[in-house]
Amino acid sequence: MLVLVPALFLSLVTTGQPAVSEIKIGAVLPLTGPFVASGTYFRQGYGMAVDEVNQAGGLDVGGAKYRIALTILDDGSDATRSRSLVEKLVTDQHVNFLLGGYDTSLVEAQEVVPDQYKIPYVEGGGAASEIFKRGYKYVFGTLASIYNMGKFTVEFITAQQAAGKLPKPLTIALVWENTDHGKDYETALVEEAQKHPDLFKVVLNQPFQLNGSDFSPLLQQVKAANAQAFLSDAHLPDYITMHRQYLQLGLYHQFVSYGGRGPDQKGRQALGPGADYLVAAVWWTPALKDPASQLFTDKYTKQYHQVPDWFQAVSYDTARVLFQAIREAHSLGGPAVRDALSKTVMHNSLLPGGTIRFTADGQIVAPYVMVQNTPGNTVRIIWPQKLPEARDPILPLPHVQ
Amino acid sequence: MFSAQNLIAVGIAALLTAGLYAVMSYGLAIIYGVMKVINLSHAGFLMLGAFMTLVYFQQWHLDPILGAFVNLPVFFGVGWVVHRVLVRRVVRALPIASLLLLFGVWLVLQNLALAIWGGEDQSIITAYTYKALAVFGFRIPVTRLIVFVVALGVLSILHFALGHTYLGKALRATVQDPTAALLVGIDTERISSWAFGLGTAFAAFAGSLLTLLFSFNPDFGGAFQLKSFTIIVLGGLENLPGVAVGAAILAFAESYAVLFMRASLQNVIAYALLVVALIVMPGGVGQLLGNRS
Repeated sequence: MLVLVPALFLSLVTTGQPAVSEIKIGAVLPLTGPFVASGTYFRQGYGMAVDEVNQAGGLDVGGAKYRIALTILDDGSDATRSRSLVEKLVTDQHVNFLLGGYDTSLVEAQEVVPDQYKIPYVEGGGAASEIFKRGYKYVFGTLASIYNMGKFTVEFITAQQAAGKLPKPLTIALVWENTDHGKDYETALVEEAQKHPDLFKVVLNQPFQLNGSDFSPLLQQVKAANAQAFLSDAHLPDYITMHRQYLQLGLYHQFVSYGGRGPDQKGRQALGPGADYLVAAVWWTPALKDPASQLFTDKYTKQYHQVPDWFQAVSYDTARVLFQAIREAHSLGGPAVRDALSKTVMHNSLLPGGTIRFTADGQIVAPYVMVQNTPGNTVRIIWPQKLPEARDPILPLPHVQ
Repeated sequence: MFSAQNLIAVGIAALLTAGLYAVMSYGLAIIYGVMKVINLSHAGFLMLGAFMTLVYFQQWHLDPILGAFVNLPVFFGVGWVVHRVLVRRVVRALPIASLLLLFGVWLVLQNLALAIWGGEDQSIITAYTYKALAVFGFRIPVTRLIVFVVALGVLSILHFALGHTYLGKALRATVQDPTAALLVGIDTERISSWAFGLGTAFAAFAGSLLTLLFSFNPDFGGAFQLKSFTIIVLGGLENLPGVAVGAAILAFAESYAVLFMRASLQNVIAYALLVVALIVMPGGVGQLLGNRS
């Protein structure tokens, strides 16, 4: 017996089960590869949320304080590796909960794991509605869908047409990345064009390969389409490449939007004044003046010496909503926290509307904000107009010299 | 879509792209031609050439075009050393050995770049990045024009050197028949070092030019390397002038194909041409034209 007790104790320690006072949270992010910029921002957002909790003494779960131990692995922007690393976090590192990766394709690869192991997974990096059509119960998303982004963009355009700033019908050259993400955007745009042929006419509708190097032939098609508006759904690297080539070809449209891209700092650094006046529908912007957004912006800027984009804000809130659900569940059990997530309402969110809640399929209910880049690396909110910080959009776009 | 203006515009863009593709592929062609080695580190040196151009630009405000010319001797030296220290030890072994070695070199270069510069995309914006010339009503980006002209100039010099210098003739002789070259007194091992140095220099040179057109990161180069494979197969694996023909075929095929098919399938063109070339004309266009004459 004297030998048995220490042996039992030793075996408990060496099985790798988390210490009682620690909650292990894992995330697999693209810290290298094409999505490295966004993956790095997500790491920053998660890190800030975890540090905040730990500096306050830990997360209170049923009266006991727990330190959050965050483990992040790099999937190199590769979907196959991403999924296997998430599995490794669960089976080798025995994490209690999972925070999602970045980019729809990687999230779609990762999301098969949580239900298998009954571990809640909250992600803010995949916005394709397809993610939430697969019937997974343990997957929750804080990023409003790209389908809704498309609808929101159309709503904005309609308002500008009513104000006389854009023509009716507006001819649109639409290009989209050949993924569920891009398909969502395309579906929304085409649906609206079919519903309102007096307002919109899609004269070009072309998918392109993700992480392309040369969009010149595609942009020649855009030029030949002679549209009034150019809409593209692209991730950050493709947006930078495509818009650079758009400018080099001397293209001009009265309205240009790359979906959620535009105010991204990486994009503005890469494109310089070429990114001015682009319009984007974003999940968050540092131009929001509510106290929570301003506090986050100040804190982030102090820590990282740069202005945050939506990536950091959404990832920060993604972690926070998970922490809230753990608190509300009074448990570290996966099913209990999963149930808490399905019912939770987080009121002090940074996201527009200030609230995070999930629908039955795990997707967030949240609005967008439309922003427009202005010269000098500034951004103005242009929609919804009811926001006190909203300004008039500059439309049609000026010719950028 | 099929208006004469659009077709001509696409043709001009394809021609400009062909120049870039040619300079991107010559390095690979030279190395394979002389040493019968598939240089998988080509992408790594292309990438490193881009990053060194960034260093010159940030530290000394050196224009990327000038940076490309600085890279030529620098990376010639690097390639020479890589050959003398590493490649020549495996060149007589099974082909898999050199393939794996150079793949390893590529991985080392990628990780070196990651360690030094991080994984984020980098860009070089010059005063002429967004400028264009209007020529007979067609808008030609200045960067593409510069890359085309520089590429054409350098390839012309290379072509002249290959035909009119001892080194060039020795290189061509080694490509044609290494044994015969040895018999006539050519130091084929030294020529191989020259070839590897030249191939590496051209890869870095192309990388510098690419910074005018694209942003780049340590993963940069892989997609271009695949296109280079297609180009040298199309042109003929041991046919140096054929590289220009292969580059033109690929550039025009990619550009015009998008008029008829989805742009998302653009990359398939390169792979499809590679397969077709290997099956239908393994000697490339050069051999095809040679057979006909």
